[in-house]
Amino acid sequence: MILDVSGNMEGAVMQWFDTVKTDFISSFITGDRWRMFLQGLGVTLRVTFISALLGLALGILLAFMKISKKSNGKRTVFSFIAGIYIDVIRGTPVVVQLMILYFAVLASVNNKMLVGSIAFGMNSGAYVAEIIRSGIQSIDRGQAEAGRSLGLSSRRTMQYIIIPQAFKNVLPTLGNEFIVLMKETAVLGYVGLMDLMKTGSYVVSKTYRAFMPLIGTAVIYFVVIKIFSLLLARLERRLQKNDSR
Amino acid sequence: MIRVEGLKKNFGSLEVLKGIDYEIHPGEKIVVVGPSGSGKSTFLRCLNLLETPTEGSIWFDNVLITDKRIKIDPVRRHMGMVFQHFNLFNNLTILKNLTLAPVKLKLQTKQEAEENAMRLLERVGLADKAHAYPSQLSGGQKQRIAIVRSLAMNPKVMLFDEPTSALDPELVGEVLDVMKGLAEEGMTMVVVTHEMGFAREVGTRVLFMDEGRILEEKPPREFFENPGHPRLKEFLSKVL
Ligand SMILES: Nc1ncnc2c1ncn2[C@@H]1O[C@H](COP(=O)(O)OP(=O)(O)O)[C@@H](O)[C@H]1O
Ligand SMILES: [Mg+2]
Repeated sequence: MILDVSGNMEGAVMQWFDTVKTDFISSFITGDRWRMFLQGLGVTLRVTFISALLGLALGILLAFMKISKKSNGKRTVFSFIAGIYIDVIRGTPVVVQLMILYFAVLASVNNKMLVGSIAFGMNSGAYVAEIIRSGIQSIDRGQAEAGRSLGLSSRRTMQYIIIPQAFKNVLPTLGNEFIVLMKETAVLGYVGLMDLMKTGSYVVSKTYRAFMPLIGTAVIYFVVIKIFSLLLARLERRLQKNDSR
Repeated sequence: MIRVEGLKKNFGSLEVLKGIDYEIHPGEKIVVVGPSGSGKSTFLRCLNLLETPTEGSIWFDNVLITDKRIKIDPVRRHMGMVFQHFNLFNNLTILKNLTLAPVKLKLQTKQEAEENAMRLLERVGLADKAHAYPSQLSGGQKQRIAIVRSLAMNPKVMLFDEPTSALDPELVGEVLDVMKGLAEEGMTMVVVTHEMGFAREVGTRVLFMDEGRILEEKPPREFFENPGHPRLKEFLSKVL
């Protein structure tokens, strides 16, 4: 009796393993589908990196626009423009921004990857701007006053005293923004880009099995993001050690 | 050296300075006392235009620095300022704190500035901290560094805004000693402080400020022994 039961158990487990194996093969091996996943990951990574760079450049520009003041202490027109831009971008879903850019504003541009990168760069720029602005404004006012009292111009005070401290403070948050950005690019399929996510759902449509391709997609995202966050943590520790403050 | 005429400063609708006239001559040590919120810091910060006066004129070395056309940065090189909270540059070593401005403003070469900085650090007994960061120092050490950072610019006048108020009592002496040394060398100084002993010993004149006005102005002996204004009498009875 006992042997029989365990025999049945064994049979069930074996059967389950067989299904998983078939699923795995049809999802990743048949027709070299693992290559498609790799290519999808390539698209995701490329769009992430390009838009992160665009976002950083745009974010720095927007941050300085936003904090710019006239000599009488009032906000400049640049400050207003930056404020509105940041507000609009943060107040609408990124997938809507992506589709507006792809189907309307840049409809004549054929390079999907480029349009995708611009869309996410424009989006990320708004968030990066707020990160950098708050980083600059979190530096004690006394630091700038000490610089100015020595006769340094406001530009030099920014350059040698404020920015280095602000950058170091916001580095972890910027790294986090990079990771958020990578995950958000999973909507690139809306404009027909074969990124990692779109590849996963394409394989689902071919195999009529949802579990394995989607779990595979999740695992790839997770591993890549884990690598980046570990690198980031190391960079942070190194900076911390450089000057113990 | 510094002449102030009809100085007024408002923050929004708040009148902080209500008309100040004063003249500071080379070599004088002006000590400013008064209750908290009376406008002492604001007065001091107007002298190097960290605050922009609402009304009035300030001359420094016969130059009208409240003139809108004046570039203030070169003027500020000649006016050192020491803050209550030290404000050392946290991202730089002590040596770099001292050499940043002279080097970046091309007043000295890097080597000259470093030699000069080491001399100044030795003078305040902190040469061994040259490569430390501000966070590694005590409050008294930070303030001594802040003083020599200003001195590295060879200023004509030094402004001190409550330089010992943020210090533990046992660290006050080391900072006051540096300031006394500076006074003996003939530096022109304007010092906002609650240290009445320092005012008596070092001051050439003592000002009493209250509610945005200078209510009394005398040499220290008379100031403390023969206060005229009732508000000053009241103030002295509290702090002495
Ligand atoms: N930047 C500022 N904005 C608004 N009010 C200020 C500012 N700086 C100082 N004040 C106000 O001005 C008054 C005088 O301040 P302060 O000059 O610092 O006085 P003290 O140094 O004598 O204590 C206080 O009521 C203070 O709250
Ligand atoms: Mg004050």
